[in-house]
Amino acid sequence: MKSGSSKLQRNIFIASFIIPTFVFYCIFTVYPVIKGLYYSMFDWSGMSQNKEFVGFRNFKDLFHDPIIWKAIGNDYFLVVGKVIGIMVIATFFAVALTRFNFKLAGFLRSVYFIPNILSVVVIGVLWNFIYNPQIGFLNGFLSLFTKEKVSITWLGFTSHTIWMLLPPAIWAGIGFYMILLIAAIQNIPDSLYEASELEGAGQWQQFRKITVPLIWEQMKVSILNIMMTTLNGSFVIVWIMTQGGPDNSTQVMGSYLYQMAFQQYHFGYGASIGVLILVLSLITTVVLQRLLRHETVELG
Amino acid sequence: MILKNKLATLSLATVLAVVPLTGCGSSSDNDNSSNQTNASTNASTNTNTSTNTSTNTSTDATTNNSSTTDNAATATKLTGDFEIQYFVGGYGDKWWKKVIADFKAANPDLNIKELAGPKINDQTKPRWIGGTPPDFVYIDGPGLNDRQMVEDGQLEDLTEWLKTAKNVDGELITDLLAQPAQQYDGKTYNIPLVLNSWGVFWDKALFKEKGWTEPQDFDQFLQVSDQIKGAGITPFIHTGKYPYYINGAILLPAIVSENNNDTSILQDMGNSKVEAFQKPAVLAALNKIVALRDKGFIDKASIQINHTDSQMLFLQHKDAFIPNGLWLPNEMSKDIPGGFDFGFIPSVTQGAGGKVVANTSTSTVAIAKNAKNKDAAKAFMQFIFSKAQASQWAELSGAPSNIKGDISASNAPSFVKDAAKYLTDANTVVIPTITFNADVDKAMQDATDALTIGKITPEEWVKRVTDVAAKVKQ
Repeated sequence: MKSGSSKLQRNIFIASFIIPTFVFYCIFTVYPVIKGLYYSMFDWSGMSQNKEFVGFRNFKDLFHDPIIWKAIGNDYFLVVGKVIGIMVIATFFAVALTRFNFKLAGFLRSVYFIPNILSVVVIGVLWNFIYNPQIGFLNGFLSLFTKEKVSITWLGFTSHTIWMLLPPAIWAGIGFYMILLIAAIQNIPDSLYEASELEGAGQWQQFRKITVPLIWEQMKVSILNIMMTTLNGSFVIVWIMTQGGPDNSTQVMGSYLYQMAFQQYHFGYGASIGVLILVLSLITTVVLQRLLRHETVELG
Repeated sequence: MILKNKLATLSLATVLAVVPLTGCGSSSDNDNSSNQTNASTNASTNTNTSTNTSTNTSTDATTNNSSTTDNAATATKLTGDFEIQYFVGGYGDKWWKKVIADFKAANPDLNIKELAGPKINDQTKPRWIGGTPPDFVYIDGPGLNDRQMVEDGQLEDLTEWLKTAKNVDGELITDLLAQPAQQYDGKTYNIPLVLNSWGVFWDKALFKEKGWTEPQDFDQFLQVSDQIKGAGITPFIHTGKYPYYINGAILLPAIVSENNNDTSILQDMGNSKVEAFQKPAVLAALNKIVALRDKGFIDKASIQINHTDSQMLFLQHKDAFIPNGLWLPNEMSKDIPGGFDFGFIPSVTQGAGGKVVANTSTSTVAIAKNAKNKDAAKAFMQFIFSKAQASQWAELSGAPSNIKGDISASNAPSFVKDAAKYLTDANTVVIPTITFNADVDKAMQDATDALTIGKITPEEWVKRVTDVAAKVKQ
């Protein structure tokens, strides 16, 4: 009797947490995903009363659309660039601010974190100014070292303009992952470092043999998170800085989705790009997890 | 004790479980109900009902329009609900408030509801999709495209009606239109209300100071640009982020000039006819942009900047010419340096002695195909397309109206009067309003951007755009 009621009590208690979450999850995640899948099967302008069911034609068209391939390429370029850039710099900062005790560490930690509290829109506008060819900071700075005034159009190359979106994206991301890794490093018992020092290990060896293996879980989470936020969220910085231009050279899947669905009135096609983003994110997550798990085993 | 604890946990658990649920339930209920009110035509809780505005201004409205009131009232007595959707953007809502109040005063039994605001196009979208749209729509602002609305079958076919429709003063509406309505396969669905123009601006004061001549044709434009470049100023800047500026002010007028001032080529382009894009006039026009590019007249910054940045650089005299629309002086009014004097010409690409070509930029009005009160909507059209509204629109919105009428005596801004003069001049070729297919438009914009930075040739421009047009036509 007693156990039965306590079991019931326990179940109610659990349900009280799970049910609301589940309901919200269904409303805000499952339902839109299903709706998106549904719309991707239609030829629909987004405003018409009539939708024409076309099955997988949108996906077929997607396959033959050169811009989507460009966008996927740009997306993965940003993923790779951001993972390398953010992880290298964030790890370096995290180690520097924890392992080498110096006075300004606390202050610098705050400074490096500042870009994270700025909205991406602000970052985009800021870097637009930095890159401005006439009155921008970057050309102004470079002009200090040259006789002629430098007038490079940083966001207007005929191709490879996407490279220019990497610095702001990395700059904006470092702070958060740095804090994550600092927390991880501070959890490593000092005794390990002391022991290794007695054994004659230098800083580099300590980093390779102690720090990295013991913060690998956090690094893995960071890499996965950078990948996912990039595939899903590059839209904002692209839209603010270049709108996918010039001539679609900086288009990412998110910006192309917006362009097609809301500016060129192909809502169904836009939805199919959304489905593509979902599928690619899932595949990439699985693949990355496999790759990174393998690494852990080796290091362990 | 245990029981008490149990009860406490149990109640806590229930509260935890129920509170968010009720919260979510009620909020989604609200969503539903608001959607429903939005969707139902007889929505009584919608945005601005015009009752208060009409009481405010009804006195002067009745005095102003006593004659028109009789005309409208004698035709048919309008009753029921009448919904007007209008986007509030650069032209403001003063004119709409005034004209709706006047219309209300003329039709006291009509219950007019205004659906207005800068986000109104998004807000009413569910109703258009649901088949219960507002009766009357002003097509302006993001999210509304007249060609798309026609293709989606959202707009009422006005072809037959417009042929004989007279306004409240008994004049034929088509006689009053400065530019005719766009034809979609020979049919009319929307009527242009605003008549704005693309063109090229410069600072007259600067030109006077430096002794440069203000260009009247392409040769003069190239000549003076050479001088300007020699003086250390970049001749020409545009916004590469929004290439429809350079397309609207340079490329399209150039195509018309090259096509012996025959604007039908643009209408065919508007209808995505592949042959139109392959005409030599298009190539010749593109080569004019190439000439500007190869002579180094185009500011290199153009490709990456937005319209505001390009306008700022122009106002700072970093660049001498800018392609833009007539709204520019209004838009930048806060940033115009002292002594700056806007010079304007609708086109610079015509040959020596050739006619000026004005590419119009317009916003139109239309009636929903599923409108519940088409009589009221048509009566409203007859009401707003009257001579009295020409000055009133120019005064209250700061832009030229598409209604022919003498506005020289009105309080409209001087550049609006100048523009109106240009647009009604016999020596100006006025391009009638054209909305391109969104895909073709985007392809043209991308290709022009690519052309200005030397990524593609004019032939490749044509190839790219014809490919898209062919696909659209399928």
